[in-house]
Amino acid sequence: MDDSKIVGLAAHPEYAKWAHRETNPDDIRRKPEALDDTVVLDVSHGSFAGLFASSLLAEMGAEVIRIEPPGGDLARKMTPYGMMIRDAGLGYITEGRNKFHITLDFTTEEGKKLFQSLAKKADVLIHTFKSGYLDGLGLGYGRLRESNPGLIFTAIHTYGQFGGDAEKYSNQPDYDILDQARGVIMSVTGEPDLDPEVPEKYKKPLKQGNWMGWYAGGAWAAFGIQMAMLHKRKTGKGQFIDASPPEGLMAISNYVMQYFHMSGQQMPRAGNYDYAVFPYTYVKCKDGFTFISGFSDPNWSALCEIMNRPDLLERFPSIKERLTPGNQPTIQHEIELFTAQYTSDEIHQMITAYGKRPDKKGTVVTGRLETPREVLQREHWEARETFVRMNDPHYGEILVQNSSFKSMSKTPGRIKWACRPIGADNELIFRKYLGLDGQKLEELKENGIV
Amino acid sequence: MGKSPQDFTRLLFDKEELFDKPEPLKGVRILEVCSVVLGPAACDYLAEFGAEVIKFEGQKGDQMRFVTPYAYFWKGMSPGLEIENHNKYWMGMHVGNLRAKELFLELVKKSDVVVDNLTPGRMAKWGLDYENLKEVNPGIIQLHVSGYGSWGPWTGRTSYDAVAQSMGALAPITGFEDRGPIKSGVWIADWITGLMCANAILSALNYRERSGEGQFIDYLQVENVIRWLDWTWLYSFKTGKDRKRSGNRDLAICPSDLFECLDGQVALAAFSEEEFRGLCQAMEQMDLYEKHPDPLERLKDENARALLDRIALWARNRRVDEVEALASRHGFAASRVLEAKDVYRSEHFRERGAIQEYEDPLYGKMVQQCYPPVMSETPGRLKWSCRPLGFDNRYVLKKILGLPDEEVKRLEEEGVVFQWNPKVPSQCPPPGWDGKSGVKLG
Repeated sequence: MDDSKIVGLAAHPEYAKWAHRETNPDDIRRKPEALDDTVVLDVSHGSFAGLFASSLLAEMGAEVIRIEPPGGDLARKMTPYGMMIRDAGLGYITEGRNKFHITLDFTTEEGKKLFQSLAKKADVLIHTFKSGYLDGLGLGYGRLRESNPGLIFTAIHTYGQFGGDAEKYSNQPDYDILDQARGVIMSVTGEPDLDPEVPEKYKKPLKQGNWMGWYAGGAWAAFGIQMAMLHKRKTGKGQFIDASPPEGLMAISNYVMQYFHMSGQQMPRAGNYDYAVFPYTYVKCKDGFTFISGFSDPNWSALCEIMNRPDLLERFPSIKERLTPGNQPTIQHEIELFTAQYTSDEIHQMITAYGKRPDKKGTVVTGRLETPREVLQREHWEARETFVRMNDPHYGEILVQNSSFKSMSKTPGRIKWACRPIGADNELIFRKYLGLDGQKLEELKENGIV
Repeated sequence: MGKSPQDFTRLLFDKEELFDKPEPLKGVRILEVCSVVLGPAACDYLAEFGAEVIKFEGQKGDQMRFVTPYAYFWKGMSPGLEIENHNKYWMGMHVGNLRAKELFLELVKKSDVVVDNLTPGRMAKWGLDYENLKEVNPGIIQLHVSGYGSWGPWTGRTSYDAVAQSMGALAPITGFEDRGPIKSGVWIADWITGLMCANAILSALNYRERSGEGQFIDYLQVENVIRWLDWTWLYSFKTGKDRKRSGNRDLAICPSDLFECLDGQVALAAFSEEEFRGLCQAMEQMDLYEKHPDPLERLKDENARALLDRIALWARNRRVDEVEALASRHGFAASRVLEAKDVYRSEHFRERGAIQEYEDPLYGKMVQQCYPPVMSETPGRLKWSCRPLGFDNRYVLKKILGLPDEEVKRLEEEGVVFQWNPKVPSQCPPPGWDGKSGVKLG
């Protein structure tokens, strides 16, 4: 790669070159893996929280054994408009990475025994069943830890494994929409309550477009698992991790709880405004939308200068005026009078040029609202190998997002393969861990256990 | 055992024993050269599980001392600063200052992790790049996080939470079908990127436990948002189309949407055949089930719209709690949308330790979230809240660096370390503070 691509817009070019040498994507496969001594059983059911948690561990080298019922897990069917590539949907192919995909019906007596034997050899188990389900099968934490005190038993579910709501709603399955609804963030996300131009029917809670409840739930679970692994390395002890995805969202819901505690008030939905920093918002431009900010006094002066609107600076001189909720739609619409005349690129160029002026008053930041197809074409993401394109032996030409841990200098995260068909690794795993031979496996197959 | 599984579980997690249990990150010392939300949040997650985080601020203080809703301050404190800063030790010291740098390197010798979210290369310019840190402490782990990373065509571009949401295509896929893109109501791209930074640090700590080796980590905020967008990329790659905004409807799970009831909204999902049958039974509309028992058939756009319309019609004449109860009875998922006050008052979350109440020596009673997950052996906990600028200078200099009082005084006089400016209220202790409460090694 030539230097100009590496150095980009860096203020410190030598540092950029050094960082590139340390984290060059070309070197990843020759480097060690942080967690390649860790065995994980992922028995999650119809949940991308479980799958994302085990993906993160698998990217860092853990040996993840993904256990599905003989017909395949429901999560394989969670795919836009029902689009399947052979036996897997688009979400599942994305989060099947580096895992061994096996099948096992552990509701049968023989299946239970195999499950217990696998759990005995695992460091981590991840499940997403209703609380008490595995206990009912004799496969709960109390039982499994008897034969493996070092087991890190991780349960991911909307309502958690104990507490009033866990009991009251114990017969409900876990879904992303529920995790988001119970995670508080959804209550403050959506079209702005206080903007008179927004029709009433849109003034209601809005989920994040992606599976934010599940991904947050999975990332928090992986966070807990890695801490438990560290504890286990020092003490030999395992533990029970109860990861409730809504708690993962409400824990990061800014200060809505604190503000309620301190003032007794709740905050309304702000739409694209922000009641703590403004302007800091998305605005219409000639070719879509772009972000624009000018929050502090010097930055607001700079923005008014770029827009050539000294009158706005006079009308809204301090953060007090700019943070008044009623003023925000007005300021927004005034800024859009300017931005609507230009493309997002032109706005970016104007702001960059202003930033280089010796008499600049402050800093203005912008960033286009990129559509997915635009993101896929950007040189920066190509240079950083943010996406991996491959010709998979089972799923054909595919593209998935790379591990975001790939820029660790010693133990970078990586993708070795994307996904595997239902039960594709039965033979390897049952032989490797339980010593089952081909004949025994045939028997199990005939009995519908694998 | 002879107990029900939930009783057994409750005992394992008994919150009365919270402070009797060990912390998983005890003995891990982190130097936080961060401001605003992302970097401090990454360290905060680790601090609530026992890491000793020393946070450095310049003369002006962390920007979050001035970012707060409606410019509202509580006991002089900015709620914006409180939310990503718990259990930390607060130093007023500009680590780029030459004398301060020496002290900082002394601390590096005794630390495990250094985190910064400054402009890429700023630490290097101060002589605090990984090569320098490694020289004084070969096992050190350094994490730098920025919008676009330390190298590449866009390195050096500024990122904020809202930029990461837009450049990473999260906001463009969020919003109602016939309306514009919507930013999250919270700084979601900061919080979730911080969480992944904490994950990266933990994997480096696990590796160091095995090998004794530290490392340098470059983490990219916008790329992190990209990573979290599930099937978005494979869909565009296979179809050549952009993923559409679809409001609360899940395009990959049907039914999964938010419905209007008589007294509010209910989130509802029932994807498997069995769950869907349960829903249709609850609705007493088994024709729906017979039409599309197969989840994949239900996902086809036309079928999905027709089905969601039918559910919407049904839900319109029900109360939210009615639908919730039906879901529990018939085995599908349904819940109201929880707001701040619901969670604040919820017994469920308090029992689980997800909401904790504690008495802060400076600010009094606090009620707030403790980071998940709930752990049986090594649970997280809240010890204290955010602090005035430079509040723990003496503690760090005396306890960790072992400096005598005269030396500490000299550093204060020379301005190498500093405390709050009395003219800036959000840097200061609360009004009426007794000059003693909360001080460590005063």
